Parts: sequence; structure tokens; C-alpha cells
Amino acid sequence: MKNLIKITATLLLLGGLNSASAMDLSKADIGNGAAVWSDVCMRCHNVRLPEDLNKRAWEYSMNHMRIRAGLTGQETRDILAFILASKTKDDAHN
Amino acid sequence: MKNNLKGITLMSFFASTLLSTQLFGANIEQLAQDVELLKANLESNSKSGFQLAGYAAFDYSDKDFSGVKFAPIFHAKYGDIFQFEGELEFNVDSKGETVTELEYAAGTIFLNDYMGLQVGKFMSPVGQFVQNQHPSWINKLPATPVGFGHDGAAPTSNVGVALRGGLPKMGDIRSNYVLFVANASVYGKVEDGAIEGSIDANGRTSSNGAAPTIGGRYAINPVGNMEVGISGSFGQISDVDQSSSTRDYSVFDVDFMYNIDAISLKGEYVQQDIGTSDISSFDTEGGTWAAWYAQASYLFAFAPIEPVIRYSDYHNPELQRNQLALGLNYLFASNLVAKLAFEVNTNEDSAVPSDGLYNEDILRMQLAFGF
Ligand code: HEC
Repeated sequence: MKNLIKITATLLLLGGLNSASAMDLSKADIGNGAAVWSDVCMRCHNVRLPEDLNKRAWEYSMNHMRIRAGLTGQETRDILAFILASKTKDDAHN
Repeated sequence: MKNNLKGITLMSFFASTLLSTQLFGANIEQLAQDVELLKANLESNSKSGFQLAGYAAFDYSDKDFSGVKFAPIFHAKYGDIFQFEGELEFNVDSKGETVTELEYAAGTIFLNDYMGLQVGKFMSPVGQFVQNQHPSWINKLPATPVGFGHDGAAPTSNVGVALRGGLPKMGDIRSNYVLFVANASVYGKVEDGAIEGSIDANGRTSSNGAAPTIGGRYAINPVGNMEVGISGSFGQISDVDQSSSTRDYSVFDVDFMYNIDAISLKGEYVQQDIGTSDISSFDTEGGTWAAWYAQASYLFAFAPIEPVIRYSDYHNPELQRNQLALGLNYLFASNLVAKLAFEVNTNEDSAVPSDGLYNEDILRMQLAFGF
């Protein structure tokens, strides 16, 4: 019962979150994100791993890198989706 | 027997209480985690927001603790249609005073997937070093190549508008572009009451009577982690003490970057040309400010140690110099780097007195952190 309420609440929150989400990643292609990430992200500086930043900060930095690295909007969303999917609970950062 | 039974019942009762307490504990922990997650979700559940990044660097050279730099970057955005980025650079100078500079402050409206319209003060889109290698945690050596610092051959920043973005793929090849219109740079720097012939290509909020600068960059990525770019700009430039003394102004640049596993190669050539002016009070001739550098580094697999070698060369109407820099970096993390470097500086122009300024060999150390 408790779990059910928890799940429903989470789903509701996530559902609401999506529609209000800053970056719409629903059509992002994680596979392409991984490919472009490994083709682009080590060129200018040492690679910054998904664990380096929290999820929220990644949205800002990917917008920043979109401008710096001349990425298309779709590439930016694909890479962001890949980075967020690669984050694990062990990323002991805030 | 009865007592035994009682004992067993009690024991199992205790055990189950213990177990349920444990379960309960785990539940609470799980709940706490979920609450944290929900809190985090709620926190990011807004369209506009703000985030801090930046870098810091501490230098030692020539028997002095020679540099302290703190450069916070502010990012603010509205959804994925608008991004603001601003970098402040704080430095302490040799007199103990704090020097502040607004390195860049620009807002970008993402018009569609291929176009961002940027307004404000942005790093010069010409070339790569100034724009993409200047942060200390990125630059693999403690100092910039000769000619790529402020007042060198490479323009630093612009105030204006830029249209930029990534282009649709051509086969497997990606490419990107920048087009910009900005206020003109200014020629001449007032130093000890006299005017020195140097180009001040830092973004300013006036063209000082000259026509605006129009420029762009186009770059392709023939293979992964490689970029070749060509860029430039043209317009006018006027004298710092006399806005009616306008001249032709143009910039040309080619840049190259390639990362192959542990090897990183970078290079760039930049040239700024200034025309003549009959009415100038300090220099009627104008001339060419040109610089180039080539750099290679290798990150060992057995330890996070990275040797770097860089050669750079700079000449303008008044000087001709070059530098060979050898460095050894220790990467505590990809964004936390300790650097040790030795620079061999050579003044090639015998007409310029060798006051040690461009002839000295320097040992530099730096700790750089990007966040
Ligand atoms: C064209 C060069 C270039 C490429 C390619 C590039 N970066 Fe960056 N990156 C920069 C620069 C320059 C900065 C530092 C910004 C500053 O100090 O102004 C930076 C900073 C960062 C930071 C620090 C936080 C921040 O936003 O400043 C992260 C994280 C990062 N990049 C991740 C990436 C990822 C992921 C990719 C691949 C999509 C990437 N970068 C590709 C140039 C690049």
C-alpha cells in the first residue's frame, strides 16, 4: 500500500516534470549521444565524466557546450540523455 | 518443556521484532532516499534557473608566487531556448590589487536546432586558442603561446551579435559555423604617456568611429575528435587618440585539433593586418601581427602523467620572438591539474634591445582547477 502510494506519487511527479522539463529528452537517441560524445568531448579538453556534475548542472553545461562546440540541438539532447543515463548511484557527488 | 516452548516463542518473537525493525529501518532508509530524489526532482523542476561553473589557478614562476586567478562562470537559462553565460576573471597583480575583467557575458537564443543567436560580449570566434583553450584547467601549459595572450596577434573578445551552431551532417562529417558582426577594435595603447602601436582587440561598447567588424568561422570534423577550422574578419580600426584616423583591418586564422586516444595535437596560425593612415599621430604605416603555435601532449597509461611540448612564434612591426615550452602535468582528475613547465624564450630581433623581456628562460608551476 505504502509502496503503491510512493510509486503513484513518483510517477505523478515525473509526469509533471516531463511536461515542465527544461530539456525535452523524450526523443533523444542515447546510442547516438554516446557516439557523438566519444567523437566530440575529448577534443578541446580532458574528458569530463558523467560523475563530475550533478544532473541539473549537466543541462547547463550541455547548453554551454552546444555553443562552444557547435553542436546541433538534437546532438545536444542526445549527449545529455547519454550522460544522464550513465550516471549511477555511486556518483557520490551532490 | 513448556518453559522451553515459551523460550522459543519469546526468542522467535524477539527475532521477528528485530527483523521487522531491520526491515523497517531499511524501509525508512529507502523512504529517505526517495524523498531526496523527489526533492532533487522538484528542485530541477523549473524552466529557468542558474548554475555556477568556472576555474581557479595558482601560479609560481621566477621565485615568486606569481599568479592567483579566480574565474567564476555564471550560467542561467530559460528552458532550452535561452542560455546566458558570463565569466568574471579576478586576478591579483604584483601590487596586491585585484584586477577584474568581464571576460564574456552573452545570451544565446536557440532559434532552432541549427541556429543560436548570441548577443553581448563573447570570446572571439576567430580561431580556437582564445575561445577554447584559455581556461587554465584546459590549457596544457601554465602560460599562453606567444601572441595568443591579450594585445597579441589573436583577437580576444567582441561586443556584438553572432549566429552560430552545428550543421546537419554531410554523410559522416559534422561541421559548425559562426557568423558575427561586432564593434571595431582600437589601434594603439597609451603606455606611460606615449602611445604604443598595439591592437586592442578586446570587445568594447563603441567602434570609436570605425566601421564594424564582420567575421566568421567554419569548421569541419573529418573524423572523430578532429576539427579543422578557417576563420577571419574584416572591417576598420581607428587610432585610440584620434577616431578620424581610420584604417583597414582584417584577420585571418586557421586552426587544427586532433585527439587520438592519449595523444592530443593542437595548432593555429593567426594574422591581423592593419592598413596605413596618413593622419595618425603615432604610426602611419600599420603592418601585420602574426602568430602561430603547435602543441603535442601524451597522457601515459600507467600514471596520470602528461608531458607536453609546444612551440610558438610571434612577430609584429616591433618585435619578433619565439618560445619553446616543455611541460609535465600531473592529473589528479581531468579538471584538477598540477603543471610544471620550462619556457625557452628567444628574441629574434636584434634591433630590439635584449632587456631580458623576451629572452629570459622561465620555470613555471601551476595548479589549475575547473569546476
Ligand atoms: C570546442 C571546444 C570544446 C568542446 C568540443 C567541448 N568543450 Fe567542454 N568546455 C570548453 C570550454 C572552453 C570550457 C570552459 C568554459 C569557460 O571557461 O569559459 C568547457 C567546459 C566544460 C565543462 C565545465 C563546466 C562548464 O560548463 O563550464 C564541462 C562539464 C564540459 N566542458 C563538458 C563537455 C562535454 C560533455 C563535451 C562534449 C559534448 C565538451 N565539453 C566538448 C570547450 C569545449
